[in-house]
Amino acid sequence: MITPFQIAYKNLLRKKVRSLLTLVGIMLSTWVLVSLFGFNRGYEAALNRDIDNMGYQLMVMAKGCPYEAATMMLQGGKGLRYMEQSMVNDILKEPGVAEVTPILMQAFFDPNKGESGGIAGFYGVDPASYPAMKPFLRFRKGGWFHDSAAAEVVMGYEAAELEQREVGDLTMVPEKNVPLKVVGILERTGSQDDGTIFVPLKTLQRISQTDQITTIGIKVKKDADMEKLENRLYQLKDVQVVSFSQVKQTVMKLISTARVMVFSIAIVALLIAMVGVVNTVLMSVLERRQEIGILKTMGAMPGDIFRLVWTETLILCTLGGVAGIGFALLFARVTDMLARRVLPYAPSGGLVAIDLRISLLALSIIVAVGLLSGLYPAWKAGSIRPLESIRGE
Amino acid sequence: MNKMMARLVLLTQLCCLLAATPALAAVGCDLNNPERDVARLFPESTGYKTVYLSFARQGGAPLLKKVENLLGPQYLALYAPIDVPYTLYEVYRDKKKVGYVHGVNQKGQFGGIQVFMSLDLTGRIKSFYLQKITGRAASKFREAGFSRKFEGLTLKDFDSYDPVRGKGTGRIAQIPNPAPELETDFYGILRGLKKNLVLMEEFVYAPERGKP
Repeated sequence: MITPFQIAYKNLLRKKVRSLLTLVGIMLSTWVLVSLFGFNRGYEAALNRDIDNMGYQLMVMAKGCPYEAATMMLQGGKGLRYMEQSMVNDILKEPGVAEVTPILMQAFFDPNKGESGGIAGFYGVDPASYPAMKPFLRFRKGGWFHDSAAAEVVMGYEAAELEQREVGDLTMVPEKNVPLKVVGILERTGSQDDGTIFVPLKTLQRISQTDQITTIGIKVKKDADMEKLENRLYQLKDVQVVSFSQVKQTVMKLISTARVMVFSIAIVALLIAMVGVVNTVLMSVLERRQEIGILKTMGAMPGDIFRLVWTETLILCTLGGVAGIGFALLFARVTDMLARRVLPYAPSGGLVAIDLRISLLALSIIVAVGLLSGLYPAWKAGSIRPLESIRGE
Repeated sequence: MNKMMARLVLLTQLCCLLAATPALAAVGCDLNNPERDVARLFPESTGYKTVYLSFARQGGAPLLKKVENLLGPQYLALYAPIDVPYTLYEVYRDKKKVGYVHGVNQKGQFGGIQVFMSLDLTGRIKSFYLQKITGRAASKFREAGFSRKFEGLTLKDFDSYDPVRGKGTGRIAQIPNPAPELETDFYGILRGLKKNLVLMEEFVYAPERGKP
């Protein structure tokens, strides 16, 4: 015996193009919805990952340093601001501080890079404290420095790739012409560490003829009051504090505007798709008035007709929804790429994280809204009067 | 408002810091400024098109093996899996293709050497450019006089010269090393040159000759 589901399916196949166009509409809105949910989840996760990969939650730098990094790139480190290394001990005395690591960022002009020269950056780290803050770093080959003032470097994966270095090779600090031996190459992390050349702090200080540092990374105790600690650190002379949780909030706030925009677009897309559903099912009901009338004269109750038409809506929404989820998964990387182009700041790693939960949630929304849209056509079909409809034809 | 401004400054800081920690995120070998560099390497050009080629797409493992045999496996490239993209700049004068610009990464004494060259449609070198080389006397390799010595060379010139052993005859053997203290780099450049020509032959010229 033929089931109501099979009848509904066959009805949809009677007007293939119309059903297909409605399906495409539902698919597109599901695609947008799933991608948006995936982005919502993926962006925050990627940002958290980036911040966790910093290894510390607070950074202290000399006042005026917001432009330090940009200056370093543009002027080869001439505009860098420094602070005394003794600041490390002052910060260690703070009760909320678990660990600190001093860092020296230096850039040297390499005349043999590009047509008119370029900048080579080096990251001076303390071998005693820095690796402990980044226990997740894995070595592709080799390891950390042999001593705190060794003429050695550890290279991020992409830095080693660009410089074509292997463990045991030499690399040169341009401008100063100091050769350093590569003792370790890190595994790819997907973070800024990939492009970094790490040098022991003392070595970089010696090369740069300075005993100062540019940054202090601070790992905060789990139970510490971050805001209080920040305020206390601000009392230190000529420093400013960068809190990554605060940065995260700011980034999320900036992104939320974009999210509201995309959510609005998703809702409009959803509404358009639903108007499509109403139109398709209603047209199909109106075209089948006589048929429905005959069904009723044969004993079909209004509820049966209602269920039959509603099943058509269900089939349309489920198929469109599943196709939309498929497309969202298939084109997640493209969505990721597009998002990166338009966002003011995009963390490393995947920005769009679509999983089963998100897919099911989007499908439920599409099916629920679809069934709501199908109510009117189904009710209209259920309330058709048999004799009038047959006579009317 | 002030709080918001402060947060924006912090955001700027983070972005700058993340971006500025040595900006070395490059895979393959691209021109730093293609608009400017293509025009300089090919003065008669009016435009270019970027094409990405890889062993995975062009001929797979057999082609990789063939190129490794031609160059010596250890000299093809470090960190270059089969799917690493090679960037080819197809150079146009108006709508007519007039040549190519292609570059490779090659291991040098103190860092990677990026060897670029422009070629005509027959595979003859028109100009030669070292985008990056590291070392005290590295600038000698970037002098115009040294670059000019490579003009007009083709892959055929490597038939009588082996850049791995640094031995042979012909035009390449007559090119003097301008920085004898950087011998590794000199032979690295020659190996990079051969690698460039072999890749161009296998990726571009041979398939073009095979066209009906």
